[in-house]
Amino acid sequence: MNVTDRRAPAPTPVAHRYCAFRLGDACFAVPADGVVEVLRGGRLTTVPLAPEGVLGLLHLRGRIVPVIDPGVRLGLASGARDRATHLVIALQDDWYGLLIDEMLDVVEISEDHIDPSTSSLSEGSGEALAGVFAAPDRLVHLLDPQRMIHSLVRPRPPFSERQGVHHG
Amino acid sequence: MPEIGRISRGMLTARLPANLAQSESFRPAPHLSSGLIWFDFRMSDNREFIEEFLVESSENLDQLDKDLLALEADPADAPRLASVFRTVHTIKGNSGFFGFSKLGALAHSGEHLLGKLRDGRLRLDDRIAGTLYTMVDAVRAILRSIEATGGEGDQDYRELSRSLTAAAEQAESTLPGAVGPDESKATQASPVAANAAPAPAPSPSTTESTPSTGIPAAGEKPEDGPTPAAAVTATPATPSPEPVSSVATTGVAAAGVTAAESSVRVDVDLLASILDLVGELVLARNQLRSIDSDDPAVQACSQRINAVTNALQETAVKTRLQPVEHVFSRFPRTVRDLAVSCGKEVQLVIDGADTELDRSLIESIRDPLTHLLRNAVDHGIEPPAERVAKGKPRAGRLSLRAFNESGRVTIEVSDDGAGIAFEKVREKAVTRGLVSAADAASMPPDRVLQFIFEPGFSTAAQVTSVSGRGVGMDVVRTNIEAIGGTVDIHSAPGAGTTVCVHVPLTLAIMPALVVRCGTERFAIPQSAVGELVPLAKDRSGPRIEGLHDAPVMRVRGRLVPIVFLDQFLGVRDQTACREDGTVVLVRVDDREFGLVVDGMRSAGGHLRCRELLDSASLSTIVVKPIGALLAGLGLYSGATVLGDGGVVLILDLRGLQRLAKLPPVDHEPDAPAVPTAELADRYLVCGTPAGRRVAVPLADVVRLERYARQDVQEVGRRRVVRRGDAFTPLADIDAMLGSPSVTLPTNVNVVVVSADSGCLGLAVDSILDVLVAESPLQPAGMAGLAGMLALGGMATEVVDLGAMRNHAIVEGHR
Repeated sequence: MNVTDRRAPAPTPVAHRYCAFRLGDACFAVPADGVVEVLRGGRLTTVPLAPEGVLGLLHLRGRIVPVIDPGVRLGLASGARDRATHLVIALQDDWYGLLIDEMLDVVEISEDHIDPSTSSLSEGSGEALAGVFAAPDRLVHLLDPQRMIHSLVRPRPPFSERQGVHHG
Repeated sequence: MPEIGRISRGMLTARLPANLAQSESFRPAPHLSSGLIWFDFRMSDNREFIEEFLVESSENLDQLDKDLLALEADPADAPRLASVFRTVHTIKGNSGFFGFSKLGALAHSGEHLLGKLRDGRLRLDDRIAGTLYTMVDAVRAILRSIEATGGEGDQDYRELSRSLTAAAEQAESTLPGAVGPDESKATQASPVAANAAPAPAPSPSTTESTPSTGIPAAGEKPEDGPTPAAAVTATPATPSPEPVSSVATTGVAAAGVTAAESSVRVDVDLLASILDLVGELVLARNQLRSIDSDDPAVQACSQRINAVTNALQETAVKTRLQPVEHVFSRFPRTVRDLAVSCGKEVQLVIDGADTELDRSLIESIRDPLTHLLRNAVDHGIEPPAERVAKGKPRAGRLSLRAFNESGRVTIEVSDDGAGIAFEKVREKAVTRGLVSAADAASMPPDRVLQFIFEPGFSTAAQVTSVSGRGVGMDVVRTNIEAIGGTVDIHSAPGAGTTVCVHVPLTLAIMPALVVRCGTERFAIPQSAVGELVPLAKDRSGPRIEGLHDAPVMRVRGRLVPIVFLDQFLGVRDQTACREDGTVVLVRVDDREFGLVVDGMRSAGGHLRCRELLDSASLSTIVVKPIGALLAGLGLYSGATVLGDGGVVLILDLRGLQRLAKLPPVDHEPDAPAVPTAELADRYLVCGTPAGRRVAVPLADVVRLERYARQDVQEVGRRRVVRRGDAFTPLADIDAMLGSPSVTLPTNVNVVVVSADSGCLGLAVDSILDVLVAESPLQPAGMAGLAGMLALGGMATEVVDLGAMRNHAIVEGHR
């Protein structure tokens, strides 16, 4: 029934707004129009046998939101840090929470300032990155949320292999 | 912006959906002042108006089916003729408005024919009705195409238009009710026949012109819809029936207006978000209630909020419900068509169509019910002559009833036909090897009927176009069980068959048992829960037997496979509730298994209310989706938010059962006392496919697993199954012991044992019991057997696992 996507903004050809956040020592950004909410704290319910990178479930305004650790695929150690902020983004009809260290700012970045090379981070993270923007004081890695969710979630090996019997 | 239709201003205000006027997407451009606006209705912005048109038209078509059926019974029903005319006219008008020319042309031809009928210049007979049904189907096909692709599709409907026109034109030359059989042949449903017949001269030209006339036709009448006045004035030539039809039509129209005013179309997403918000409110209410306050004013206010919230939640849930009418409305037509094609006479009686069901479930019951009706007409109800000979009325009575029963909705499909021939079912079950002849003979009729639900089971002597291919009842049951329902069947030979489908009112809200497992909580749908069995530390009560990975529990003579939930889900490495947990016995697809969760029993052995509430409690939960990311695991069917705000995952028992590869339960009514002997003396007793009774030392059993036949791979002459990274050879006990080898059943039960140098799977037919040896092992003198001993009072062969493994690896299964 729902044919029109009410969130879809008119595409601006030159500049897009991004929400920048800190993850460890690096700075990342996602398109601002996909951001639903920035949430401090919140109670996570763990999901046994969930794919790696899925930290748990969060309840937000009647929805069940899977919370994801973006550090897993971005080559950042997912050690316990001061992270307790959830950046909730919408992808089509689903919402996802990204566990981040700190919300920084909303920045407007012109397309021609985005460098599509993504070699500055580890190999595996390339598929989740849309490009790099060199801000005066730091590099901002632009994430493609859709690709990031897909790349983050590498399903665990099929169940039977894990349940393999422990014997010769 | 491409131009699709050019619409006059007056018409726009009159015919556009009311909300368009306020819609943001509709911005009157400067050229509006010229009296014309140019508007592309295929733009995605306007998709929703087309959606609305589609929904409305589809409802109209259902009504049309109903009206045509009624008209067949009473062709002179003037108000109904007028209503049918109006419906088709509206479709024509709308399609012209949206620029759907094929639809417009088709509806135009139909309208033309219906106009003649309404004016009494033509009398509705079977052939005309057939043509009109074909038109309804064609319109439906076009609408489906519009819905799926946005376009009208490539199908050519001009032949159909022509036969509609031909039917109408013939009336010109004949008197009402005097349509000659030779002429009316051309109006038969088949467009080819219509084409072949010498069509009256004016018809081709009419058809050619319709695509263009269809569009302006809507514009010509700026008033909202075909009012009775318009309908009457359009045909001033009509003599006598005019006053009657005019009065009656006005009455119908007036009733229609009131019905429309009392309901509003609301976006489903909007309803869903209201329900979500109400859920939030319930949580806030719960928090409010937990705050202690001595202030009576606060207490009173809190109570009031409590009551209102409850009522609001109930009301919000009701918005999800729809009457089963939505599904039932098509059935009279379906049954009519079936009866015609089977050469039967059937009278369909529908009762309780206003019974409400969740909108998400309404569609899921359509196919199963259609199938049941089809069965009843094709197999149940006898041909008219046979019925008369039996002293029954010529027309069979098919009843479709829906009603609420203990919180669920029951839909009953019942016929007064021949009933199910128990003996045939019994025979067929034996021939298909589902049951032994001896067992079958002693089975009560109700038990025999259960075979009907076996895949591929059909007793039909011959395959008809309608049914008899043997796919059916198992699919009905699978579909109904998929939405948490059940199917019962009762039959009395000679008197008829009744099938009852019980489905939950809604899937969005369901009662569930919330259990604790380590630090986590999980919800188990209550409909699947059979009983709760607490385990006792002192081993006084029921306990879990079997070691390694094949635990079972004995429940009143049944051996039920057990899953330690904490271990299975990895909540804990080693289960902590082997001795003090609680076993939740659940049943999925007729298979039972036990889930061991954290205990609900206090140290003293008595259940305390408080603890029960802490560890497990029954509550009504609101099911929320968890997204493709986690649903793909197959372990959780959703999640819910409990009163304390915590998120709890709902276990997908079907998936869990599949992933745990649980063996089936076997019934052993005369089970002996619980064996207490040492493990070394205990044996797992199984039946082989060829019917041998064999035993395996329980100490060697690693797991009981179940594989689909296609998972068993043949490598050379050996059979193997993939378990984890390695292949496990599968031994054919029968071949090894010289019994004839039997082809594998659809599901292969495998006892995985550890043999000398690795793992081995034994393909068995059934797992009978775990028993203690009652005699010392005697040599059997046969390769593949370690010996023979008495188990459960019967001589049982004990398998030599080492030899079996060699055989499986070297010899293969032949």
